[in-house]
Amino acid sequence: MTVASLKGTVKALEPRSAALPEMATAVLILDENRDVEYVNASAEALFAPVDPIGCTLAALFASSGATGGDDVFLTVDAGAEPAPIRLRLSDSLLLDCTLRALSGGGFVLSMDDVTTYVRNAELALRDGLTGLLNRKALRERLVERLSAASRTGESTAVFYIDLDRFKAVNDTLGHPIGDALLRKVAERLKSALREGDLAARIGGDEFAVIQSGAPQPAAAVALATRLVDLIGRAYAVDGHMLHIGASVGVAVAPNDGREPDALLKNADLALYRAKAEGRGCHRFFEPGMDERMQARRSMEIDLRRALALKQFEIAYQPQIDLTSNNITGFEALLRWRHPTRGIVSPGDFIPLAAEIGIIGAIGEWVLRTACMQAAGWPESLTIAVNIAPIQFRSGKLVEVVTAALALSELSAQRLEVEITEGALLEDTVDVLRTLSRLRDVGVSVSMDDFGTGYSSLAYLQMFPFDKIKIDQCFVRDMDAHADRRAITRAIIALASALGMRTVAEGVETEAELLCIRAAGCDEVQGFLTGRPMPAAAVTALLQSAHLALVA
Amino acid sequence: MSDDLYRLVYYSHNAIRGDAANAITSILAKSQANNQRVGVTGALMFNRGCFAQVLEGGRDAVEAVFERIQQDERHGDVSLLAFDAVPSRAFANWSMGFVGASMVDAACFGSLVQQSGFDPARMTGEALFETLHRLALEEEGAPA
Repeated sequence: MTVASLKGTVKALEPRSAALPEMATAVLILDENRDVEYVNASAEALFAPVDPIGCTLAALFASSGATGGDDVFLTVDAGAEPAPIRLRLSDSLLLDCTLRALSGGGFVLSMDDVTTYVRNAELALRDGLTGLLNRKALRERLVERLSAASRTGESTAVFYIDLDRFKAVNDTLGHPIGDALLRKVAERLKSALREGDLAARIGGDEFAVIQSGAPQPAAAVALATRLVDLIGRAYAVDGHMLHIGASVGVAVAPNDGREPDALLKNADLALYRAKAEGRGCHRFFEPGMDERMQARRSMEIDLRRALALKQFEIAYQPQIDLTSNNITGFEALLRWRHPTRGIVSPGDFIPLAAEIGIIGAIGEWVLRTACMQAAGWPESLTIAVNIAPIQFRSGKLVEVVTAALALSELSAQRLEVEITEGALLEDTVDVLRTLSRLRDVGVSVSMDDFGTGYSSLAYLQMFPFDKIKIDQCFVRDMDAHADRRAITRAIIALASALGMRTVAEGVETEAELLCIRAAGCDEVQGFLTGRPMPAAAVTALLQSAHLALVA
Repeated sequence: MSDDLYRLVYYSHNAIRGDAANAITSILAKSQANNQRVGVTGALMFNRGCFAQVLEGGRDAVEAVFERIQQDERHGDVSLLAFDAVPSRAFANWSMGFVGASMVDAACFGSLVQQSGFDPARMTGEALFETLHRLALEEEGAPA
């Protein structure tokens, strides 16, 4: 077929076929020798200034810098159904090309511009801020890698990376700085990867990496170590010096899972462990992490509803004045009675309650209940309530305390709040301000577990505590330990000089009581002088009027 | 983008093994070329244990140079001591000067380090900058 005869055919099919020269789809017609015989206007524009007429496709593609066109005749030569091949022109234009044999001899090649479509599809797989893969793309690529690895027997490692202290940067300096920091983190992440590794941003400050084709676990250890170091280095961002850290969890296929979702979940469990063990470190998945996580989750579910199901109780432990041998008051001790777990120790559930953000509600309940209970006791008796460090951070502690006092009509002078040194470790100034406001209301403040924390003496100078509670570790068997007696006496002398009362905790034997009395302690609290008891038992005890428990 | 003039001071433990003098020569040559291109000036001091460096220039340029340093595997434990806006450059003519000892002595100037009082771990950003600046002035005033 010649150009002239083709043009004749087009004319015969007027008016519709007249559209061919003007179609948006680029069309090239080749003769039987596979030389270009005709191009429409779109095709001419694509290859300009090269004139395609008379060229072979290979020559045309080469002279216009196109790549990906080598297989253009493959389906035709194999007699298969036409299938598009993707051609990339030098200016990064992407064309889907389909070659069909014409019934009258020769071929027609149609070329559709898919540049925008492909770019949009790629964008849909990218995180807009950092340009890394997004969560969806990460999973898709992991599916591909795992299926390839199952054939080759290679290992594939998945890393979950969580930034430590990023939220503080975002909250204090604002989102634009936070975003700039995330872009720098993404750059560092990429700089640590080898060719073929993939990086993704899968959440606000969560990243992930797929590492394949490397000797495991050595390569994963090296990369995890490098990431913790690299991301943890200081940043200079928009005029600010920023310090964050990275926690990394790693799971390696096939040992830690062959399925993408199992592998991702296990990397997440390992990350959870890295965060639980102090952050700024990496942890590999280990069998058993799942069970521990399940156990924790089930405890969390139970704990969240414990308040509503009225599973919390308060036990009251008497405090005895060593001069008069009378009960001066009680300490409120929180108990969680679960129908199947039994009594859960505060040491087991308070940290979890703090972590899941319900400690405030529990603390409020304890304060209200204890004040209500104490309001029914003789006016001379006090009630001591523990305040967790995290309760100070809410900024509402004074309001919560005054509300509990108002509701119970308990006089503020009868309430003591007990804090540990841990509460003073962070935001010391804010905590001291809160304590002063409580003191202004009339509430007493005790220092709990004295001597077991950090720089206790500095805190004694910062705030005039009403009472110091001497920890049981100095009281236990003190009759047989001269060092414990010495420490106890020193604490009592110090407190006395500062005008603070002392309470010895955990007194369990007569011998300990003798020593404590000899040391000049003001009050005791322990199994010997009264176990923690339910509210009803307190009422009964007080009614029996045997307030003098100690001979 | 910001063109405000900033000064950044850091020190880091170096991980150079072998021929230190050669390594410094190559680091200097590279950073001089890079820094000149982006208008960053400053001074570098090196001993067997650490680098200390002052970078001065437009904020974005200084941040970019520092970020490249952070990603460099030869640096470990980088301590960023200061990063502040400044009214003028202290090392205006140094695309990246090496101060404190001549190049050939570089590998063995641990003693000089002590004489000059250069112990970055004990210094604030301001003090480290002052030390580098003083040493640079001495260097410039010294007969060739």
